[in-house]
Amino acid sequence: MNGRKTLVEEGTQFKGSLSSDCPIEVKGRVEGDLTAPALAVSTSGAVHGKVKVGEMKSQGELAGEFDADVVQLSGTVKDATIIRAKSLEVKLAPPNGKLQVVFGECELEVGSEQAAKEQAKEPAKEPPAAVKPPSVRPPDNGAPVESNGSAS
Amino acid sequence: MPELTADVVLRKIKSGEKVERADLRGLAMPKAMLEGVSFRRCDLDGANFEGARMAKAQLKNASLREAFLAGADLREANLENADLEGANLQGAILVGANLNRANLEGANLQGADLGGARLTHAQLDSAKLGGANLVAAQLSHADLSDADLSTAKLDEADLTSAILTDANLEEASLVNARMRDAQVEGVNIKNANLTGADAPALKGGPAAGLSKRYFGKGDVLRNAALEFDSGASVEIESLFEQCTIVLGDGTELVVGRSGVLSGCQIRGAGKITIHGKFVERESPGIAGVTQLVVSSGGSLVGAVEQPAELTRFAFEPGCMLRMKIQGKKDRPQERAAKGGRNR
Repeated sequence: MNGRKTLVEEGTQFKGSLSSDCPIEVKGRVEGDLTAPALAVSTSGAVHGKVKVGEMKSQGELAGEFDADVVQLSGTVKDATIIRAKSLEVKLAPPNGKLQVVFGECELEVGSEQAAKEQAKEPAKEPPAAVKPPSVRPPDNGAPVESNGSAS
Repeated sequence: MPELTADVVLRKIKSGEKVERADLRGLAMPKAMLEGVSFRRCDLDGANFEGARMAKAQLKNASLREAFLAGADLREANLENADLEGANLQGAILVGANLNRANLEGANLQGADLGGARLTHAQLDSAKLGGANLVAAQLSHADLSDADLSTAKLDEADLTSAILTDANLEEASLVNARMRDAQVEGVNIKNANLTGADAPALKGGPAAGLSKRYFGKGDVLRNAALEFDSGASVEIESLFEQCTIVLGDGTELVVGRSGVLSGCQIRGAGKITIHGKFVERESPGIAGVTQLVVSSGGSLVGAVEQPAELTRFAFEPGCMLRMKIQGKKDRPQERAAKGGRNR
């Protein structure tokens, strides 16, 4: 199995379910369900559907529901897309350069469920005496905004 | 008392003798004609050369601490490795001078002409260079931390890898200056002219050069409404609860590792980096930001509304996200405003 992969070549359109024991590379277009240990979507590739993979690297177009352990993302994420992953990486685009990822209206669920629950509970612990400026506009001279003493 | 008096020094110079390695502390030779003279390795601490003509003078390794050189003509002088700490060089002419590795810490160079001067690796921390001419000066690796360079002319200057931490460059001209790899934390570039300057750290993040706000660890802000001006740099290591934050254009907001923004909302065309935690109150918790980075260890729970020109996102492996990304939506007030305009 070493070095083998399933390739959906540029110009090829695939509709339906695809399940593979080896990595899948998509240079063309896939519409449907896809299961594999790894998925690579090249800049010319597009995957629309339900995807469950271990590792996903996409530079192309994604739409649908994606479940993966590790995701590296660039390219385009279309509207109504959900990406669930234990780890997600998106690199920062240069200031005046092209965006790494163009996100449509989508959802990202990244990290473990446990961490998310802890996150939701986190600020519940009672903090020290609060500073309570109802409205603060900081000075322009670089001085710290009013706080309870340790600002510097 | 100096080892030699001014008269003896002048006689020696006239007879072509070298005056080197001499103890000339406190020597007073204002307005003296000393062109091409060699004072190499001399101790001239506190000496007075006000208005002296010292073009092409050899002052390599000389000690001129607290010396008075205001208005002196030192063009093309060799001051390499000289110690000029606290010296007064106000209005001095140092065009083409060699000041490589010189110590000018706290020196007064206000209005001095340093056009084309060589100042690589020079120590200029806390130096007063307000209004100085540093056009085409070589300042690579120079230490200019806390220096006052307000209104200085640094066009075509080479500031590669220079240290400009907390320096004041207000209204300075840096046209076509080279500032790659310069350290610019806390530098004030208000109204500075950076046209054509190779200064990615300043241009990429205007906040780097402007005013900074810091909210320390252990502090708590509740129900606060905060507005930060364009270009400000804000760092939060505190707990913010139910706060509304408005960012001006280009304002940089960093939520540090200890920072927690719980039930908060952020609006405006700023740049946000989250190393700590952000949880929204109302959706969208973040709206209109131009850049959003969540680092490894950072977490974000909430919706992000992108501006029309879209947000630049970056997520590092290890970050925790429960987020919705949305397009720009017309709010009721905006709809009303548009309707009003259309009528």
